[in-house]
Amino acid sequence: MLTIKNLHVNVDGKEILRGLDLEIGTGEVHAIMGPNGSGKSTLSYVLAGRDGYEVTEGEVIFAGKNLLEMEPEERAWAGIFLAMQYPVELPGVNNMSFLRESVNAVRRARGEEELDAIAFMKLVRERAELVKLPEKLLKRSVNAGFSGGEKKRNEILQMALLEPKLTILDEIDSGLDIDALRTVAEGVNALRSPERSFLMITHYQRLLDYIEPDHIHVLAHGRIVRSGGKELALELEEKGYGWILEEEAAA
Amino acid sequence: MITAELQKGWAKSLLEAAGSAPAPWLEELRSSAGALIDGLPLVNRKQEAWRYTNVEPLLKESFQPVVERPSGYPGEVPEAITPHRLVFVDGWFMPELSDTALLPEEVTCGSLNDAIAAGDERVKNRLGSVADPGEHLFTALNTALVNDGLFLHLPAGVKLESPVELFWLNSGGETPLLAQPRNLVILEPGAEAVLVEHHLPGEGERYLHNGLTEIVLDPGAKLDHYRVQDESEQAWHFSRIVLDQGSDSRYHGITLAFGGHLARTEYNGLFTAEGAHCTLRGLYTVGDDQLQDFHLDVRHDVPHCSSREQFKGLLYGKGRAVFDGRILVAKDAQKSDAELTNDNLLLTRNAEVDTKPQLEIYADDVKASHGTTVGQLEANQVFYLRARGIDEQKAVHMLCEGFAAEIIEHIHLETLREQALARLRQTLGNL
Repeated sequence: MLTIKNLHVNVDGKEILRGLDLEIGTGEVHAIMGPNGSGKSTLSYVLAGRDGYEVTEGEVIFAGKNLLEMEPEERAWAGIFLAMQYPVELPGVNNMSFLRESVNAVRRARGEEELDAIAFMKLVRERAELVKLPEKLLKRSVNAGFSGGEKKRNEILQMALLEPKLTILDEIDSGLDIDALRTVAEGVNALRSPERSFLMITHYQRLLDYIEPDHIHVLAHGRIVRSGGKELALELEEKGYGWILEEEAAA
Repeated sequence: MITAELQKGWAKSLLEAAGSAPAPWLEELRSSAGALIDGLPLVNRKQEAWRYTNVEPLLKESFQPVVERPSGYPGEVPEAITPHRLVFVDGWFMPELSDTALLPEEVTCGSLNDAIAAGDERVKNRLGSVADPGEHLFTALNTALVNDGLFLHLPAGVKLESPVELFWLNSGGETPLLAQPRNLVILEPGAEAVLVEHHLPGEGERYLHNGLTEIVLDPGAKLDHYRVQDESEQAWHFSRIVLDQGSDSRYHGITLAFGGHLARTEYNGLFTAEGAHCTLRGLYTVGDDQLQDFHLDVRHDVPHCSSREQFKGLLYGKGRAVFDGRILVAKDAQKSDAELTNDNLLLTRNAEVDTKPQLEIYADDVKASHGTTVGQLEANQVFYLRARGIDEQKAVHMLCEGFAAEIIEHIHLETLREQALARLRQTLGNL
């Protein structure tokens, strides 16, 4: 589904990603872990198409297409969804209207019929319940004044509505207490299917207790330095990142 | 450059065409205002109040004052949202286009000129008592040429269920016309009303609207006052609203300014007794060849009154805006509560706003704050929407709407709120 080859990315003239390779198959759940500053968030923003990230080398193929040539909205239409670490507040923009606009924009682009107000209301209520987002938050401005947990739930609600092929979860666990983390994880798990892939980006092993990945990668100095199964997470939990970085330096 | 010769000459040519007054006392009011004109300061850059608003091209234009009620109106009158509809053409009340039949009998609502001609003492007693004709050239001119406008009077305790809706239209023609409405609104103790004004081009393109509204709110009276200024893109528009608020009265005013080539809205609020509250809100949009100017002057002269001023501007192209908001709290006005904000969103590099909030506080036990922002759309907000499949143009529109929504949501009439939103979208569609 997603193939990243030798990806080099500069931010403000500084090289952050230095030859990153990654292959995510359909239906797979991958986790990328790594110390702060290793380039985790840069990777998620480059995939979503945010400005300010200069790709100097390499390629990203998503569902057979060159992802790097696509605008952010085209990526969303194609089925990429980035659940952000810091969801943006949009004062004055009604959450319900925003969600409907988003769902219908994606449906239009996919050649599907738009949902009318009633059909959408039904859908959004059902999905909001899944992520335990209080209905009153649908009537407020997008993320404005939401708690950290509410913002993350709103992200997962959007994911549940857009039903993306590839979801990137950028530190979805940051700032969440255990209850909120459990709810968010349940929302993600409910969407797991043989057709959907996930890329979790996290600093902590904790998230992986709730969303079990098929593959784990360690990102350091802008490259994947180690890949493995679930056992790699336990090793990281026990020994931290130091030993991998040392091995890397030695090699 | 605006010289004394230019300013006086321009005013003089208009006064010569004044026509006759419907009552001798009005003739006196007119001529005393006319006599002020020669002594008034020049409306040029040297005056703080006119520093960023250049009216020189206006003073080089000749206008024809409309001194008689037009015989008819060639265009169509827009649909009203309420049963109480008053239509004014070139500043004159048009009875045959209006409908006030369903208003309670004890309410007076209609032509100021007719009321004066009929010897209405209430008009004679209050007209000119609230607004100072000598404020500047345009207020003096309005008073020196008083003819028609709205006279609305609610006796004590009368509460109108439906809003009173005014349509200001222009008849157009070869010569640019000067519409000079003078409005007097009196709400006696405990009376309540909602007033909606639409300022529209009608058939006109190039004209000057120079309106002056005096509002008297007796103790406990409440007025919601919505104004939609959607003049032609070649029009000049001046509106001054002067408030005289008695104890525990409440005024809630919103101006939405979309149109005009040069448009200036002035609010002047005065609290005369304790416990009164005044809220002024405004939304303005400006693009190429447009200037929106807001001047607010709210005076807390007595204790225990509160005021809120919230204005937001959306600027694009080479649009220009001026905001000057002043709140004065006098020495004896303890426990005053005042808050003023002005936020501007500049969508282009060439748009410009000159904003100046001023708090002048002479009392020591007050709550007062002000804040001004001038900014651009945040890239991360646009990105967030695009990452959710919403194209860039739509994303910008949604964010602008969100910015404006914080004013529009205070309109308590659903139909008007929808109209305002639709009008805003029309502007956004031209970005």
